Amino acid sequence: MKRLLPSLAILAAAALALSGCAAGSSDSSSSTPVKGGTLVYASGDAEPTCLDPHVGGNYPQALVATQYLESLVSKDKAGKIIPWLATKWTEATDGLSWDFTLKKGVTFTDGTPLTSEAVIANIAHLQDPKTASSTGYLALQKVTKVTAVDDLTARISLSSPDSALLDSLSQTWLAIESPTALKRSQAVNCASPVGTGPFVVSKWNHQQSILLKRNTAYTSPPADAAHSGPAYLTAIEWRFLPDSASRYAAVQSGTVDVIDNVQPDTIVAAEKQKNLVAVDAPRPGASNRIELNSSIAPFDDKKVREAFIRSADVSGAITSLFFDTTKRSYSPLSSIEKDGYSNPKLFDYDQKAAATLLDEAGWTQKNAEGYRVKDGKVLELEFPVSTNQSIPAEQSLFEQLQATSKQAGFKVNLHPQDLASWYGALGKNQYNLVSAPYTKVGPDVLRILFDSAGTKPAPSGYFANHAQITDPALDTLLENAAASSDAAERSADYKKAQKIVLEGYYILPLYDQQNHYLLSTKLKGFRAMPTVSTPALYDAWLAR
Amino acid sequence: MKRLSTVAPSVVVSLAILLFIGIAAVAPNLLAPGNPLAIHPMASFLPPSLGHPFGTDESGRDVYTRIIHGAGASVLIGITATAIGLGLAIVFGLLAGLGPRWLDFGTTRLLEVLFAFPGLLFALLFIVIYGPGVLTSTIAVGLATAPGYSRIIRSRVLVVKRAPYIEASLVLGRSRFFRVTRHLVPNVAGSLFVLATLGIGQSIVWASSLSYLGLGAVPPAAEWGAMLSAGRTYISSFWWLTFFPGLFIVLTAAATTLLGRGLQERVRS
Amino acid sequence: MTLPLGPTATTTTAESVRRRSWLPWAAARLGGVAFVLWAVATVTFFAIRLIPGDPAEAILGGPGSQASREALAQARKDYGLDLPLGIQYLHYLGRLATGDLGTSYSLRSPVTTVIGQNLGPTLLLAVSSLLIAVVLALLLALWSSRSGRVAAAAGSVLEIIASAVPHFWLAIALILLFSTALGWLPPVSVPGPAGLILPALTLAIPLAGFLGQVMRESLLDALASPFVLAARARGEGESGVFWRHALRHAAIPAIGLAGWAFGSLISGAVVVETIFARPGIGRSLLSAVQDRDVPLVLGVVLVVAVGYMLVTTLTDLADRFVDPRLRERS
Repeated sequence: MKRLLPSLAILAAAALALSGCAAGSSDSSSSTPVKGGTLVYASGDAEPTCLDPHVGGNYPQALVATQYLESLVSKDKAGKIIPWLATKWTEATDGLSWDFTLKKGVTFTDGTPLTSEAVIANIAHLQDPKTASSTGYLALQKVTKVTAVDDLTARISLSSPDSALLDSLSQTWLAIESPTALKRSQAVNCASPVGTGPFVVSKWNHQQSILLKRNTAYTSPPADAAHSGPAYLTAIEWRFLPDSASRYAAVQSGTVDVIDNVQPDTIVAAEKQKNLVAVDAPRPGASNRIELNSSIAPFDDKKVREAFIRSADVSGAITSLFFDTTKRSYSPLSSIEKDGYSNPKLFDYDQKAAATLLDEAGWTQKNAEGYRVKDGKVLELEFPVSTNQSIPAEQSLFEQLQATSKQAGFKVNLHPQDLASWYGALGKNQYNLVSAPYTKVGPDVLRILFDSAGTKPAPSGYFANHAQITDPALDTLLENAAASSDAAERSADYKKAQKIVLEGYYILPLYDQQNHYLLSTKLKGFRAMPTVSTPALYDAWLAR
Repeated sequence: MKRLSTVAPSVVVSLAILLFIGIAAVAPNLLAPGNPLAIHPMASFLPPSLGHPFGTDESGRDVYTRIIHGAGASVLIGITATAIGLGLAIVFGLLAGLGPRWLDFGTTRLLEVLFAFPGLLFALLFIVIYGPGVLTSTIAVGLATAPGYSRIIRSRVLVVKRAPYIEASLVLGRSRFFRVTRHLVPNVAGSLFVLATLGIGQSIVWASSLSYLGLGAVPPAAEWGAMLSAGRTYISSFWWLTFFPGLFIVLTAAATTLLGRGLQERVRS
Repeated sequence: MTLPLGPTATTTTAESVRRRSWLPWAAARLGGVAFVLWAVATVTFFAIRLIPGDPAEAILGGPGSQASREALAQARKDYGLDLPLGIQYLHYLGRLATGDLGTSYSLRSPVTTVIGQNLGPTLLLAVSSLLIAVVLALLLALWSSRSGRVAAAAGSVLEIIASAVPHFWLAIALILLFSTALGWLPPVSVPGPAGLILPALTLAIPLAGFLGQVMRESLLDALASPFVLAARARGEGESGVFWRHALRHAAIPAIGLAGWAFGSLISGAVVVETIFARPGIGRSLLSAVQDRDVPLVLGVVLVVAVGYMLVTTLTDLADRFVDPRLRERS
């Protein structure tokens, strides 16, 4: 026993090291892939109502559609646009059209060949109001028409230059489906969309699972894939387990092979498990941030905004609630966006500075409970919280911010509510603080979130510019960047725009949009797409 | 002396438990002098120990203190829901028992089918229309328990209606109002008390189940159901966050049930 | 779940004895069910219109549901919201009467389809739980009736505590014990019998608590009764006495409780199916409530009401079959 212990310790340490965190992918280099097997994936996100991501366009749809639908272009880990269904793309000199050359010999799983007609049909489908696309529709707002230059070349014409077009086209919500399949009724297409992907939708048992089968005629992996030809896995069983504790228990016991939406405490618990690997793949687009409504009192005063931000101890909350499984963000953009700008100094936790600022802003008196008062009104803030979109750790973080800002004299009223009521509160402008995620590939998300056009509600009542910033200088920067074809100029404009947003104290960045996966060590070759960070199971295989 | 020995030990234990919870509801600072809302982020997720008998939660708040201070809110929800249920039941029961035959027939048929119909479904129907929250879930639980109580009250009313002292009162020419208030109500009230005792425990369980499912009270309220809802996600790593609020809910429900059954035995014998 | 408080069995027996033949009774029963269904549908109809705001929005997921203009227009057409209230109501009742329970907003498919797909697994769970509960209750009743007063009292307390435990707490405890600690059973539902054990056990234990209490009382009564004494005098062994005489009498009130048990199992299924991620009516119902999907919730309530009527009618008939006293009375 005595001699055995040190070697056991070494073995255990080695095992722990091997099962440690890997960013973006799992170990796939050590052995030859095994063909066959059914992977069980358990998602913590809601079950999509429609498997066609053209309809609506949310993250749960992207998660599963990544397996059977493909886009014109993809992105590699360095952020460069790479070929996928399109091999070449050229922008016209006036920037008002793009020519995409498609890969030869690709067919959809229903036998229809991939031609420029398919591209035309897909963009028409996305722009058709009857499809009710939101994400895809918004991304293609500048597209006026699509024409077939020849069988394998499609020309997309724009009303004005759009620098975000390639980023948008790399997203799963604008994936290319079979034009023959699109002609079917929406109900049928929602149940079994047809694409060119490595898997095919075989059966959908509502509220149970979706069965995906291998596409044996697969020929179109993206340029950064690890192999070519059909996928290794025979099938994927895609299950829905909304309860996070059950999900973790399931992957720990081997009942399922991969889970997503891994909560911070289970990430930490998994580190002690020898049979589990964690993959951290933050979502692109904006970071998770709290937005301060600058259109109504008291946040119409910049000093009050800064005071609130100075009185919020975010880092302490992250350490205690997230167990340091995520880093603090000081930028409006996700850390995987190349053009991110951050300035940590602006967000130092400083209660003294907060007190001074509030005094300067005229909130000099305090009532019996310790809240600041001015002209008889209490310094009160309404904070509707969407329980669907904020994980429990995040809701607890808001509670902690409520407590630290109380020390400065702010009265924060948290209102956890379901999604419908939350949209209602936003629509009626009855909020001072709100946290709303936005996933989009590329820095163009800044335009959606901070351009003054984002304060005008869509017909459904929703608007994205929750901080309600209406700054003409900011608008100009964002619109220039959206039209510019000069990457350096764009980057500079986006950085300047972020500087304006951060220095105006309109937002309090928290951390990246969390997106963790937990895998069994039996699973090799798993990676998260560098585009929208969804799981790519094409190169994945199960070790025996 | 004979009286004392016939009191079952289970009833004694239940009374003791309910007394403790009652004190917690009315004067929590006697049992837990700390502040249930005070956060200590660096002391979060501590397991049970001498300093924190039930551990700490995700924001470093002492779980024991929160449970004691949350007793009042949880018990209030139970009492309110039971009051709503019994209130409705009394109306139904009296209408059915005392009203004209057609009313009795109608209400009886209604109650026959509704009795023991899964009340949770009615509660969910109410919540889907009016939205989740503490108020709606309390009302929903009250509404859902009403049919069960109504049927019992109705049978009790029918039995009492035929009692000799009622007949005597009729013969003596007393008014209907007199009969109802002086004879009927006190005799029905006995069953009511038993029902209320049983009902409060059950209502607390129902309301906390709704909170657990995310349809009732929400954090940071130091209410047992809300604590369960908050702790649910941490079950595998920090079991004490759900175990102890759940334990108190079970103890309250078990104590009220044991007490209620004990009372029922006495009333019957 | 509502408790079967007070004299349930005796009330049923007394009332049934008074009935002359079963036909008018069955008709009254049917009328009662129709009345309840009508009442639930009517209350829901008016409740939706009492909420401030657009009823079409309320039907499609509440205020701020982000329903598209087309969906709202379709809902107005389906529910005839532009017509006068009286006509709307008649259309609504007419649709329900023909079995058209409307379309689920959150699942975008007919409510009847959703219910049809999910009813099977829930019934399987309910039946398995009922069987386990009956076995547990019988075992406990048997043990405590044989082992003297202290055991009987202990058994009684155990049953009462079992019946007071909330399903979600029991589920968690069972998962922590059998899955996390011992690793014997999966923590979530998997196809096959292994995935059924923990969910069924979670539902069975509280039910066994209730059934046990009822069965023990009548069992003790039966064992002390004259006919059992006669049987023993005839030389029958204890087990013969138990199985052939006492059990039949203990079964009567338990059968009467079957209707209530069905109801309690359905409520329990909502929590159990959610925790164990098991497909079924309960889980669909909870997601529907979370998505504010009124048509689906109403559809489930109405279907369960009909099912509940079937079960209670069958158990009342079975009651008459088991208890000859009910048959003979003219």
